[in-house]
Amino acid sequence: MKSFKLIFVCLLTLGIVFLASNSFARDTLVYGTTEKVTDMDPANAYDFHTWEIFYNIYRGLLGYPPGKTNLVPELAESYKVVDEGKGYVFKLKPGLKFSDGTSFDANAVKWSIDRVMRIKGDPSWLVTDFVERVEVLDKNQVKFVLKNPVAYFPALVATPPYYPVNPNVYPPDKIVQDPSALKGGKLVGLGPYRAAFFKRDQEVALELNPYYVGEKPKNDMVIIRYFADATTMRLALEKGELDFAFKSFNPSDISDLQKMSNIKTIKGQGPYIRYVCFQNNTEPFTNKIVRQGVAAAINRPDIIKKVFLGQNEPLYSMVPMGMWTHTDNFKEVFGDGNIEKSKELLAQAGFNETNKLKFDFWYTPSHYGDTEVDMAAVLKEQFEATGVMEVSVKSAEWATYKNNWKNQLMPVYLLGWYPDYIDPDNYTAAFAGTAGSRGNGIYFSDPTWDAMFVEEQKTPDESAREAIFKKIQQMWTDEVPTAPIFQGSLYLFAQKDIDGIMISPTLQFIYAPIEKMK
Amino acid sequence: MKNLLRYIIARTFLTIPMVFILLSIVFVVIRVMPGDPVSAMLGGHAPEKVIEQKKEELGLNKPLIVQYGSYLWQICRLDLGNSMIFKQRVIDTIGDKLPATIELTFFGMLITLLVGVPLGAYAADKRRSTQDYSIRLYGIVIYCIPVYWLGLMLQMIFGIWLDIFPIAGRTGARVFVAGFDKTGLYILDTILAGDFAALWDVLIHLVLPSVTLGLTLSGIFIRLTRANMLDVLKSDYILAAEARGIRHHRVVYKHAIMNAFVPILTMMGLQVALLMAGAVLTETTFSWPGMGRLLLERIYLRDYPTIQGVIVIFALIVAAVSLVVDIIYALVDPRVRY
Repeated sequence: MKSFKLIFVCLLTLGIVFLASNSFARDTLVYGTTEKVTDMDPANAYDFHTWEIFYNIYRGLLGYPPGKTNLVPELAESYKVVDEGKGYVFKLKPGLKFSDGTSFDANAVKWSIDRVMRIKGDPSWLVTDFVERVEVLDKNQVKFVLKNPVAYFPALVATPPYYPVNPNVYPPDKIVQDPSALKGGKLVGLGPYRAAFFKRDQEVALELNPYYVGEKPKNDMVIIRYFADATTMRLALEKGELDFAFKSFNPSDISDLQKMSNIKTIKGQGPYIRYVCFQNNTEPFTNKIVRQGVAAAINRPDIIKKVFLGQNEPLYSMVPMGMWTHTDNFKEVFGDGNIEKSKELLAQAGFNETNKLKFDFWYTPSHYGDTEVDMAAVLKEQFEATGVMEVSVKSAEWATYKNNWKNQLMPVYLLGWYPDYIDPDNYTAAFAGTAGSRGNGIYFSDPTWDAMFVEEQKTPDESAREAIFKKIQQMWTDEVPTAPIFQGSLYLFAQKDIDGIMISPTLQFIYAPIEKMK
Repeated sequence: MKNLLRYIIARTFLTIPMVFILLSIVFVVIRVMPGDPVSAMLGGHAPEKVIEQKKEELGLNKPLIVQYGSYLWQICRLDLGNSMIFKQRVIDTIGDKLPATIELTFFGMLITLLVGVPLGAYAADKRRSTQDYSIRLYGIVIYCIPVYWLGLMLQMIFGIWLDIFPIAGRTGARVFVAGFDKTGLYILDTILAGDFAALWDVLIHLVLPSVTLGLTLSGIFIRLTRANMLDVLKSDYILAAEARGIRHHRVVYKHAIMNAFVPILTMMGLQVALLMAGAVLTETTFSWPGMGRLLLERIYLRDYPTIQGVIVIFALIVAAVSLVVDIIYALVDPRVRY
């Protein structure tokens, strides 16, 4: 009996010790994602998730307000375009300082851009392809001298490679992989948070930046937890281990979570698009009538219903919905699942029931998620429903897939696109301009189109640019270098007591307004 | 003892050509696969000239034999190189992930032995009984079950329905890892930091993944233990022990099992390789940030130096564990001579 009591007391003591909480600040939010974080340096990171963290640690000269798609001044008060579009002069907000007291001024901006150009990290082309040099005009004025006029340069300036960093803390020639390698051991910019802890594939912890000049965030800390797969993340959210979770859930998880009364759904329009590509320099797809015929058979609502359980939106242009200049030309010209039109067009090219159009149709099984195999199967069904096409579905994992398109091995294939910057140019020139088209394995080339792209890239006149993009979208239904399928929707799920979440097509997910309601 | 020492030295030296042969095979295989790390990261977004420039910087345009020579020279200087994707030193990346895998495989092996050996011994003792058939059936079924599916089922049952154990990660979402993370072995780190709340958290997070990994391999040990026990139980000294009046339970579970255990010890060394392989799927299911998950991700990204580095480390671990097992074998059984 005595030994029993002793054991009981020991266990009780151990229990009290073990159950003592290792607690944080009261308003700590835990955020789950299946995305990956790369290098914690704006000069090298080139993925949306790491950029998302940067949107909360740093500030750019220009930026997007939470949940919005319009550019507004941030570190800059204003800017003007000079030298016929080849120069941009930014007037900086006075009196800003980095966390160690270093002034934020034109010298810091120049130093940061020069650093990006010197280091030549993965996203550096967003700077080096456009910027010739940066000049300091005075303490609060900095001038970007461009190689050529670029109408969408303000959208580029809002991307992380252009973010100013502290010249006294960041190494001038080396990429920062881990914040603990910096002076002070924490990654801190001019934004409301600083990275207090970083463990790749496990956890990133953002705490409040005590030197931030601006409205204080509504939480004290955000911990980002990384999950290897969506199902495990979903289970963690259901158990209450996460306050919210974003990117990327499976369609069945989205469907189930939407029905749960204890979980809140926040839906937004995404910037990513999915489309069918044709290898325009390979027979029979050199003939635009053939490309039109295949495009006419695509039934977007059918794909969205069967594969994505209705969770995305059909897309009828390569310029996504919600973006300036978007039109629905493919709907007007082809509609959806237009079998008669498809047969008629393919008949003009000499294809019929006895002489079918035969081609390999490629997809990549994991890069875009687990739904690819289903999407390819549904598209095959749609193409073959015309009775004049015979499709072999093939797949290759991502690295091989890219190699295949470079080696022109895939006559028809699926691709997806997340923008580098928010402008219709990034959704059009990348696929139909000669250089961009080759880089994506499409091999479409037309001097008229190239001239139009050059014109829209250099003219600052918005109405002129709008007219060009509308014309290009109309021409797209004639040449069909690619055929759009759908635009992705963004789904974020949160516990019921979480408020202040705003997501936007810019993918700038800002943590500051998020709070846990008492 | 002198013989044993000579054996150890010889085995250590044999490891070197083994690693080089393995590295050479891996070097060739991953480079003949289509794709390269630069295109995998940037293709479609960065201009073609930027991609070509990066490939040039990384030496990917050089002849394979030149790349191979550079890599071997690097290995001779004990340098595993830098990741082509994240620019981090490969050894640092491995240093980050290896402790997680060590913890998982250690406890996985513990579960394997705690489940497999006693069940195998019991099955041998109750030969041709219902218990024997049931245990053997369990051994076959558990070995056939995909580890991913088993992990998911355990998550559903114990993590969601019964809500006893957490379903992912090495720690709870609200445990501040920075407070104790020193070696990466969280059980040790939390003890050293005196953070017993975190220790408890780490331990309960280990339960489901190590049970998943351990149960999958327990089938092998059940069959092995049973077979060895059946041989041992037929021995004269067992008969003599029973004839001397020693209780049957003690004869089987003390004397017989100790003798049957020696071959199992050898098998443990070989099973480390299987454990490492199983860890890939287990780590994915439980979002466990270890070497298996690292290898899978870097294969997709064609991060050649990291893939090679991970395989070298795996090979060294398997070789080291096999050597240790052989040494223990020699120490435990005085009849064994090298």
